[in-house]
Amino acid sequence: MAAVWINQLLQGVLLGGLYTMFAIGLSLSAGVMRFVNIAHGDFIVLACFALLILTTSLGLNPVVATLAILPLAFAAGFALQRFLLQRVVGENLLLVVLVTFGLSIIIENGLLQGFGADPEKLSGGWMETATIGLGHGINMGLFQVVTLAAAVALVAALDLLLYRSGIGAKIRAVADDVVAADLIGLSSVRIYAVAMGISFVTIAIAAGFMSIWTDFDPSSGPTRLLIAFEAIVLGGLGSIWGSLVGGIVLGIAQSVGAQFDVAWQMLAGHLVFLLVLVVRPQGLFPKY
Amino acid sequence: MAQEALLAVDGVSVFYDRFRALADIDVAVGGGEIVSIIGANGAGKSTLLKAILGQAGRVEGRIWLAGEDIVGRTTAAIVALGVMLVPEGRRLFPSLTVEENLWLGWDVGRRGEFGFAELWQLFPQLAERKRQKAGSLSGGQQQMVALGRALLANPRLLLCDEISLGLAPIVIDELYALIPRIKERGVGIVVVEQDISRSLAIADRFYCLLEGRVVLAGRPGEVGRETVVQRYFGL
Repeated sequence: MAAVWINQLLQGVLLGGLYTMFAIGLSLSAGVMRFVNIAHGDFIVLACFALLILTTSLGLNPVVATLAILPLAFAAGFALQRFLLQRVVGENLLLVVLVTFGLSIIIENGLLQGFGADPEKLSGGWMETATIGLGHGINMGLFQVVTLAAAVALVAALDLLLYRSGIGAKIRAVADDVVAADLIGLSSVRIYAVAMGISFVTIAIAAGFMSIWTDFDPSSGPTRLLIAFEAIVLGGLGSIWGSLVGGIVLGIAQSVGAQFDVAWQMLAGHLVFLLVLVVRPQGLFPKY
Repeated sequence: MAQEALLAVDGVSVFYDRFRALADIDVAVGGGEIVSIIGANGAGKSTLLKAILGQAGRVEGRIWLAGEDIVGRTTAAIVALGVMLVPEGRRLFPSLTVEENLWLGWDVGRRGEFGFAELWQLFPQLAERKRQKAGSLSGGQQQMVALGRALLANPRLLLCDEISLGLAPIVIDELYALIPRIKERGVGIVVVEQDISRSLAIADRFYCLLEGRVVLAGRPGEVGRETVVQRYFGL
């Protein structure tokens, strides 16, 4: 009996790795830069469809395809921020929300038009089916373990980038005081664009793992956004490592909830989120 | 005159929509010269600094920096040419460490002889606190970081906007004692200050602004205090 619960706990931690992937880009854009990107989940789904095209029509391996779109993702994020979103930076928050909400609708309907509503999935081949047995009927999927490891590595990399590199210091400076940044010759417009480019690289990586892990269809975005938001708020806004903790807490809550009743899976995650909000509204590891 | 000075503001007007914040201003600053800009609130002192940095509204006229017209250039480009501001209210990045704040100045500026070794020598207090968050420092220490950040950019022209604001007199004395030492390195310095007597005491020349115009200019010793006060208030 205990083995069942231990198993659910373990699967929850692994699921947390995927959720961290959803959250990490948002942690940078919304948590650090204070730029709430409502289309975050839809961009993940858009990247999934880009991977679908690359793997089906060009026959690329999913790992190769994901690596191939990383530079494109950076360029797309950079250009989107520089030429569209920058127009609403510093205006009131509602404008940012409205513009990205509009993007969300455009992406969702554009994908629906192009691909239809059927669920799609990438095949991970042997990676997807390999398991690691721990005895007592507890098994971990190799792909799930790799996802969690990659999520931890990505969090560590982003944390280093933000707190140990020059561009990281500039991003935090612009987040602190954009007017002062411009006064001393830091070009905030460029730095915002670089930050969004980095956020989009993490979106592409998240898409690489998600497209193999689970089905996706054009309307999958908002659920990913919700999970990402819950994870970064749970972890504490602005804390990169917090998004890993937030993602894992959500994963465990959902996995354990599903053990009671499958219908409880999503609900359990939301309930834990609300509970933490009530008890500790600043999140578990707040930066601000 | 225009091309010889380090900075020559040549017939500059600044407009915000229809409002004219500066009207046909001429200001010159030489290398190794301290120039004080005085004037009441709203006289256009800050607008002048912003115009030099490429942060003002619509600018008419020419601003020469070492013979190059910098009107229309980005702030980043102007800073790279050797103009650096110590902003009003210090404007440090509070969540960054002292060292990170200083490094940003080094990174945006020109390469030159002033580096971190010189900086720690000039401000030993900051060396002890370099890993501390800038927001946790006292006002005087923050002003030292703001000044240090500007010096690390190795400016040819240093713009100081109200550096004494909100600081204890003893701290202001300390800061003002540093300015002539910066001047000795050949840096041109513009000092904008509400406190007339303090800023005129260290200035080689001064300009008095009133409602966007230069109403008086000269050397502090050669113009009587009465005249300065009268022009300051537009009497």
